[in-house]
Order: sequence, then structure tokens, then C-alpha cells
Amino acid sequence: MSKPDIIVIGGGVIGSSITYYLSKMGKRVLMIERRDNCSGSAGASDGVVGYHTKKPGLQMELAIQSIAMFDDLSQELGMDVEYRKNCGGMQPAETELEWKILSDIVKEQRKSGVDIYMISMKEACKIEPQLNPDLYGALYSPTSGKVNPLKLTFAYIRAAKRLGAEVLYNTEVTKVLVKMNRVMGVETTKGTYYADQIIDAAGSWAAEVAAMAGEDLPIRPRKGQLFITEPLGHFMDVTLQCARYNVIKFKPEAVGDKAVLRMGASLSIEQLKEGGLIIGSTREFAGFDRENTLEAMEATMKRAVRFFPALRDVNIIRAFAGLRPFTPDGLPILGESEKVPGFFVAAGHEGDGIALAPITGKLMAQLVTEGKTSYPLDAFSPARFRKLSEGSIE
Amino acid sequence: MDNDVIICRCQEVTRQEIVDAIRDGATTVDGVKRRVRAGMGLCQGKTCERLVMKIIAEETGIPMEEILPQKKRMPVRPVKIGVIGGQTDE
Repeated sequence: MSKPDIIVIGGGVIGSSITYYLSKMGKRVLMIERRDNCSGSAGASDGVVGYHTKKPGLQMELAIQSIAMFDDLSQELGMDVEYRKNCGGMQPAETELEWKILSDIVKEQRKSGVDIYMISMKEACKIEPQLNPDLYGALYSPTSGKVNPLKLTFAYIRAAKRLGAEVLYNTEVTKVLVKMNRVMGVETTKGTYYADQIIDAAGSWAAEVAAMAGEDLPIRPRKGQLFITEPLGHFMDVTLQCARYNVIKFKPEAVGDKAVLRMGASLSIEQLKEGGLIIGSTREFAGFDRENTLEAMEATMKRAVRFFPALRDVNIIRAFAGLRPFTPDGLPILGESEKVPGFFVAAGHEGDGIALAPITGKLMAQLVTEGKTSYPLDAFSPARFRKLSEGSIE
Repeated sequence: MDNDVIICRCQEVTRQEIVDAIRDGATTVDGVKRRVRAGMGLCQGKTCERLVMKIIAEETGIPMEEILPQKKRMPVRPVKIGVIGGQTDE
């Protein structure tokens, strides 16, 4: 490829989505990936495409636009991404306190017009008969769905390649070239590549890439451990999280147990198309470590049995872990660097990268090519943290 | 070797599918696995891993000893959820 218009760093779901939407707009895109597509977090994730796991407000607004895009995605990309629309999302609460916290979150979420409400355990068990009836009640989101994250990522990048995008695998960016305060290109382990615009879509590693351009990003890796069972017949339809999932995500101060808080241990479970269950998960600050621990496995399995007693006799065949790119305010970072024009960031989606990938790709492609977006990204700008640390009032 | 032959018995993945995954960019066992599910089944690649490595070597010219096997994770063999988490939450 002669000089591309844009270099995208990172071949995860976000980088692949951006590469596709840019290619669709007629841009020449070069993706540079340290290892392989899906070798980081996109390949170590569950597939929740839900409204109910989204923070009320801006994150929810993004999710609504993104989830709408899933409807035609398999057709548009020419590959089945195994999107199951309206499989539902559910979060059973164990105590009255959890129920109250969830109800408050639901009230806020509903302000965006999404169909989420609280139901009794009797109703919950009617929807999911395997569920333990001895729980307090549940949040239910009938229009939430799920997708295969691997298929989604590969569908995006293959469609992008058909439109002319190129991908360099096993190629690590070692330096971002900046001249007169503008990006020029990148040095990599396989040579130097030039482009006037560069997008940092390196997920949990985005801060390291940004530092090469002189930009500070407060993105930290947060480990999530997951477990796969042997294939089963039909077991469940919804993606289910315990109430603690949303409490840890939105109201960590309400969690009393220190070990639970340190591990961020909550239950998240869904059935894959092939029949296996994917059971998670934790949210741990453990640097870039991606190993599994017995402690997390035990905490997760206890909760699995508590919510679905029949799982006691089901075999776990595999454990894995992925790094979720955490940001201090729980929102992704989407925008152009003020310090280094031409350097864009699209990272920090934590556990919502799969669900938010379509809208992230679309808006970033608009921003890079047209300088404006169909939905305002001001609140997601990389500069928002600098303003915070300087103490100015926005 | 016949491209219709099944390499991953658990997931019923043929040699052709593995070759396609390699042409799509896979250069490791995990790269093949994420594209076509070879090694994702009950035996977790215990049967097909070496065969997948061999096909990668044949297709890419990368020497066998430089091809990354899949990342090893627990459990070593299938273990019942109740054994790990079933005792205290009766």
C-alpha cells in the first residue's frame, strides 16, 4: 500500500469497527496489530449487547445507537455475527438493598426511553426456569441481546479488507512520529509507515501508545476472568448478571465485602450458540496480568450455583481472562488529541467494547474524515481528564 | 493430505477450514482457534494442537518450533462446578 490516509493501531473489536467504517467512507486504512485480531480483549469477552448493563446517561445514549446498528450488521458485513436480538437481559437481586439500588438505577436508565423494569422471582423463573426461585426479585430488559464477539470482530475486519483496508499482523508500534506538533506516522518492528491521521484503538494498551505521542490517558487494564462449560442442550436465553454486577459497576461504595470489591466478583452468564455457558466475571486491577486464579474461580462458581443450582453437575472445560480498559469516569475516550492534532483516541470502553463497537466505529470514522459527528462526542474527549486535574469547572 | 479430513474432532473442523484461517492471518494455534474453533471443544486441543501447528508450518513456512502453541489454562481436565463452588451455597 502506498501512503494510507489513516493508520489504526489495534486489531480488536474497536479498531476493526473503525477500520471498516473508514473503508466504507472510501478511506485507505492501514491497521497495525501487535499480534492478531482478537488476540487481546475482543477474544476474551462475553457477548452481552444489553441496555441494562449501561450507565444511565451518556453511556446509555451511545448504547442505544449502537445496539440499533446490530440489526442489519450480519447482512451488511456479509458474515453471521450470531446476533441474538431480544434474547433478554436479567439481573436477579439477592437482598432488598440490592433490589432498591437496582430500582434506582433502572429509574435513571428508563429516562433514555429503554424498556427495563423490575419483576418478581415468580416472573423471572417463568422466563428462565433454571433460575433459583429463592432470590429477591430481578431487573429485566426484554430487548437486550447478545453477539459472538469473535465473529463480530472478524466480520468487521474481513469486510474492511474487501473494501481495500490492509492489516499488518505481528507488528508492534514502537514510536509515534510527531513533527511540528502533528502526527506524521509510526515506527514499527516491521518498518516505518506514514499517515496524517492515526487512531489509537489499543484498548487496555492505549495509554502506552498515547504516551508515544505525548498524550496522557488515564486508561488502566482491569482483569476479567471467565469460565466455559461443556456444551449443554438449551439451558437459558437471557444474558444474566447478578445484581452485584451493576452495583459494582455503578455504586461500588455500596459493596461491603472487601474481597468481593477487590476482585469485583459478580456473576455474568450466558449460553453460547454451540451450547457451552460462559460464566464470569471479575474486575480486578492486576496490571497486565492475564492469568486465572483459583480464588476467582471459586468465587464465580459459588455464585453460579447460587443462581442456577443445576449447574452443580456441569463441567468447566476452560478458564480465560481478558483486560478491560478502565477509565476513571466509566466512559470511553473518543476524540482527537488537543496536544497532538491528527492523533485520535478510541479506547477505554471497559466491559462495553463489544456492545459499543458499531457506534464507536461509525462516529470515529465521521470525526476523522469530516471533523464532525452525527452525535456529539465532546463529553468523551481525551481532554476531559486534563480539565479535571487542572481543577477548572466545565 | 485431503482437505476434507477432520483435524479438530470435538468441533469438527476440517483441514480446509484451518487453511482458510491461516490465509486470513492466523500464525498461531490461538489465531486458528479464534477463527474456526479448532481446540475449543471438550479436549481443549489435546488432540488437534500438534496437527494445527503442523498445518501452520506447511502453509506459512514458519518453522514448527517457532509456532506458538495455545495458551495453557486451567482446568487441566473438565471439573464439575459443584466441586469448586457447590459446598457452601447449599
